[in-house]
Amino acid sequence: MMDVGRHPRIKLLTNSEVENVTGFVGNFQVSVRKKTRYIDEDACTACSECEVVCPVVVPDEYQEGFSSRKAIYIPFPQAVPSSYVLDMDNCLGTNPIACGKCADACDKDCIDYDMEDEHFDLEVGTITLATGMQPYDPTEMDEYGYTRFENVITSMEFERLICAGGPVEGHFVRPTDRKTPKSVAFIQCVGSRSVNRGVPYCSNICCMNTVKDTLLLQDHYPDLQSKVFYMDIRSFGKGFEDLYRRSKEVGVQYIRGLPGNIEEDPVTQNLYLTAENTLTGKVTTHEVDMVVLAVGLVPRQDSELIRQMLTLSPTSDGFVMEAHPKLKPVDAPTRGVYFAGCVEAPKDIKDSVTQASAAVARANILLNAGEVKIEAITSVIHEEECNYCGRCVRVCPFHAITPANKKAGLYPKVVEAACSGCGTCAAECTTDCISMRHFEDAQYYAQVDAILAEDPMEKIVAFACNWCSYAGGDNAGTSRLQYPHNVRLVRTMCSGRVDEDFIMHAFRKGAPLVLVSGCHFSDCHYIDAVTWTQQRIEKTWDKLEKMGIRPERLQLEWISAAEGQKFARVMRELEELRRRVTKEEVDNTMRILSNGFKTATKKAATKRVAAVIS
Amino acid sequence: MNGNGTNAEPEIRIGVFVCDCGLNIAGVVDTVAVAEYAKTLPDVVVVQGNKYTCADPGQNEIKRAIKEHNLNRVVVASCTPKIHEHTFRTCVAEAGLNPYLMEMANIREHCSWVHQQEKQPATRKAMDLVRSSVNRARLLQPQVEPTFPVTQAALVIGGGVAGIQAALDFADTGHQVYLVEKEPSIGGIMAAIDKTYPTMDCSI
Amino acid sequence: MSESAYFKCLRCAHEYVGEYTPKAVEEKTCPKCGSNSVRRLKSPPAEKAAG
Repeated sequence: MMDVGRHPRIKLLTNSEVENVTGFVGNFQVSVRKKTRYIDEDACTACSECEVVCPVVVPDEYQEGFSSRKAIYIPFPQAVPSSYVLDMDNCLGTNPIACGKCADACDKDCIDYDMEDEHFDLEVGTITLATGMQPYDPTEMDEYGYTRFENVITSMEFERLICAGGPVEGHFVRPTDRKTPKSVAFIQCVGSRSVNRGVPYCSNICCMNTVKDTLLLQDHYPDLQSKVFYMDIRSFGKGFEDLYRRSKEVGVQYIRGLPGNIEEDPVTQNLYLTAENTLTGKVTTHEVDMVVLAVGLVPRQDSELIRQMLTLSPTSDGFVMEAHPKLKPVDAPTRGVYFAGCVEAPKDIKDSVTQASAAVARANILLNAGEVKIEAITSVIHEEECNYCGRCVRVCPFHAITPANKKAGLYPKVVEAACSGCGTCAAECTTDCISMRHFEDAQYYAQVDAILAEDPMEKIVAFACNWCSYAGGDNAGTSRLQYPHNVRLVRTMCSGRVDEDFIMHAFRKGAPLVLVSGCHFSDCHYIDAVTWTQQRIEKTWDKLEKMGIRPERLQLEWISAAEGQKFARVMRELEELRRRVTKEEVDNTMRILSNGFKTATKKAATKRVAAVIS
Repeated sequence: MNGNGTNAEPEIRIGVFVCDCGLNIAGVVDTVAVAEYAKTLPDVVVVQGNKYTCADPGQNEIKRAIKEHNLNRVVVASCTPKIHEHTFRTCVAEAGLNPYLMEMANIREHCSWVHQQEKQPATRKAMDLVRSSVNRARLLQPQVEPTFPVTQAALVIGGGVAGIQAALDFADTGHQVYLVEKEPSIGGIMAAIDKTYPTMDCSI
Repeated sequence: MSESAYFKCLRCAHEYVGEYTPKAVEEKTCPKCGSNSVRRLKSPPAEKAAG
């Protein structure tokens, strides 16, 4: 920590929050508000004179409320920067008549009640997100009586009580009578691995943290009896199983089964835990002096804002989604952004540090290259046909299109470096005035035409996204999974690229069945582009029905790169559907579409297509 | 179409390269028939079969054909572009062709490997896939990949153990770093932990 | 808030009542065949109402 404060190339901005992020990979503009401390942090020597005279006493957050601090305080002795901070919410007032004692006591005149927040506009090439997590608040699990019984504490509170720098200087005592307990029960998975309350996932660190805690207790108080109530002890890391074994060897009892509830003896304030040991099948009540709830780790509640600023999506657990869960675990889907630590998922210190170094290594590839190259598959707006509707701006998952302003005559503009080429804007554009480099409408029409040129009744036209469904087809191939030969895949970068016109074009050219296939929503490589696919398909179903074309002939499927089995199964199902489509039905569709379906806006794109083909 | 659609190219000259992939493709798909079929497609001026197109001899044939036949589009009918698109883009670029003028047809993962018992339909499907890729290739345009300079500074948001490590690593690799922390001190949750497993040492 | 709605699977023709949250766009999966070609119907299927 001290190294950070001293390093000449690190500019440390504490008490600060990122307020806005603009720009793109390699070129981010970030505005940061540094909230005032009311203290000159460079001049402050942490001499504590101010603290001594401050008359305000409030609970100390760092000590989990077990002790108090003043309104002017240093968060903890080793704080970096080593400077006091004035908690203005609790300060009696900056008016010298009200108090002003600290300013009087400060020899160096560091305290300035009129100090204002500062703004910094930073220009950076990469952003590493390391905003961490927060411990689960066990209040809702009332059966453990966290809010009712003082001797029930959380694992974070335990840390402060056992710490030599803590409120009781490491003399571990229980809150009610300040005596060292003779027995302590640990309850695992509080808030973790629960579908109903808390979170469904395993929080990763709590088992080992408890094992560590039992060893600390054993070390300090050899006669103290620790009991651990658990579902499973997960000690898979390097050296962890050793530690677990040591804990058992020194006499810590491990009881497989979680207590249903905790009750308190009103006189002794001891706690009774009733639990079934699922290994022996016996239900036993245990009396202990103190209970520690091994609380899980949950996403930070305040991380939503920064996530939105960086256009990141959460996974179902609420932590941020990586560019790829296995192959790019520290890259964000937004280029130039990387993850370190628990913001990505709960992990211990070693894994956090490892991931931080990995994130820096990844980011350094970009910084050291000095320039960033973008694949030439970005979107292009043809202004002459744009009607300023702004739909492209709204649907872009990367906020890569700057808003239009009709009054000022400003067309929407694609920020090329921020565009990932999903093509959702091109598919959603109401005037078809957006084209994608290397993935033009005309090129898709050409592919569909070629597929349907001979024996169209035999063919299924399948639009498959590059990352998942097309790769799912590859997976089926690699696994030699056999399926009917009738399907013809057309690769799109994203299913969001599949314009309704592509689908109609295929039907117009005699396709009996069309499939649009993309990633599962949690896998979408373009944040939420796939959700636009679904909405568009739903609209197209309605439209087909209105035109007298069976919506069943347009199929939708989410297939991941690993789902070769699913891919093959879907192909078999589609072939069944295709066989049921009659020639008469297809002829009818072709007639309907060649007469009716041609909007005015369509002309623009048709014209461009013609220009290319000729 | 890409802002330069006005000066149409004089003539589209496509070369099609059909890969046997040993027996991986040729064991199911009649690659000779596919090659013969490709010759009938519009704008195709040369078709070659290769045992392994991705191997050096195969790539050299593509390069030679580009020069010999003055090709301005290349279609490689082989495996999935997920594996070899980069290979063949590089290959045509080395022969002086814009890499975006190369197109693939996936007649292995999406054809020979999944229709092993249906040789004739698989061959017809391979022809379809080649025709589809050729038709797309006719409309391909050269593309220039845009490049942008990278600002030589890093931002780390969050000053817990991960953020601290990241900031130090950036700084130690010579980069300017901004470390933004919401609280008055860095340290995060780690700073409140007493001893840490597995080494049982102090966290701060 | 979620409300119940009628859905029809365009793969296996299964019709069912399910949860639907306006605005939230979620993956839809047919409970019978597992397909994602699930269409939300604006009104209950007519023949079902009779039976």
